[in-house]
Amino acid sequence: MLQDLYEFKKDLGKRGVFFCLSGPISQNLVAEIGTTLEQKMTLEETSKATVLRVFSTVVENAQNIIRYSDEKEEELSLGIIAVGHKNSHYFVLCGNMVENTKITRLTDKLTKLQDMNRDELKKEYRKRRREPPPPDSIGAGLGFIDMAKKASEPIEFDFKKINEDFSFFSMKIVI
Amino acid sequence: MESLMIEATKYTPEISFDCNNHVLDIKGKSYPENTSVFYQPIFEWLEEYLSSDETQEVTVNMELIYFNSSSSKVLMDFCDRLDEAAEDGKKVTANWFYEEDDEDALEFGEEFQEELESVTFNLVEKAPDNE
Repeated sequence: MLQDLYEFKKDLGKRGVFFCLSGPISQNLVAEIGTTLEQKMTLEETSKATVLRVFSTVVENAQNIIRYSDEKEEELSLGIIAVGHKNSHYFVLCGNMVENTKITRLTDKLTKLQDMNRDELKKEYRKRRREPPPPDSIGAGLGFIDMAKKASEPIEFDFKKINEDFSFFSMKIVI
Repeated sequence: MESLMIEATKYTPEISFDCNNHVLDIKGKSYPENTSVFYQPIFEWLEEYLSSDETQEVTVNMELIYFNSSSSKVLMDFCDRLDEAAEDGKKVTANWFYEEDDEDALEFGEEFQEELESVTFNLVEKAPDNE
């Protein structure tokens, strides 16, 4: 493991990833990650709007892990978040375990968003903001639409089956 | 009634609702873990304030650097309540502050402006920081 650590870091670097966190995600951590990423991107002279979009996408994903990850240790929710830069765009990767029973619903939601253009996403966001949150939502039920609006490409997602009960849910958002 | 003052934290905005001068300020970032826990007392205060006959003219300043999607919904509810008060004949002016190069913040402001019918909703570009 010790010898592999540098290889692991190099591998992330090759993929353009400059930040990665795997493990328990907490609200406090969300604020710290956000501030550090803001500092880093400001150094790179990234525009204010882009910095805020990346920041926002990391926050929405982290709060999704906190609220919805099906891998938990007591109060703590586990997941992985990575941020990178490739082909002149920042991207955010996010993953956590979900119960297999949730796959169909998540797939429906995300596929619907993939097919929408920016104007349709804006309309959907405003429509949903006026409605009560969906029954399976702990927040406002706007997180995915918000990310889709801020992304420059349709959100990519994947489910990797782990066993009879759980799959690993991954998303990639290109800003 | 008393004014409502809440200090900013890393993920909640500064609230300064002054019922003597009739100026309500919200300033900072908003991405609490549980939005309703943070905003419930604010809505309760607003309800009492807007229901009072002493409230005739109010200015609301919203200067939010960043808010998450569940805070966005809360802000919509907040603006709706202001719109209701304005429909009831109170004079409500809301100022939405945004930074020059933050087109998302401007777009959010424009959307709130479109959604509201009776509030005078101004979009105000902030002067650049002199840091």
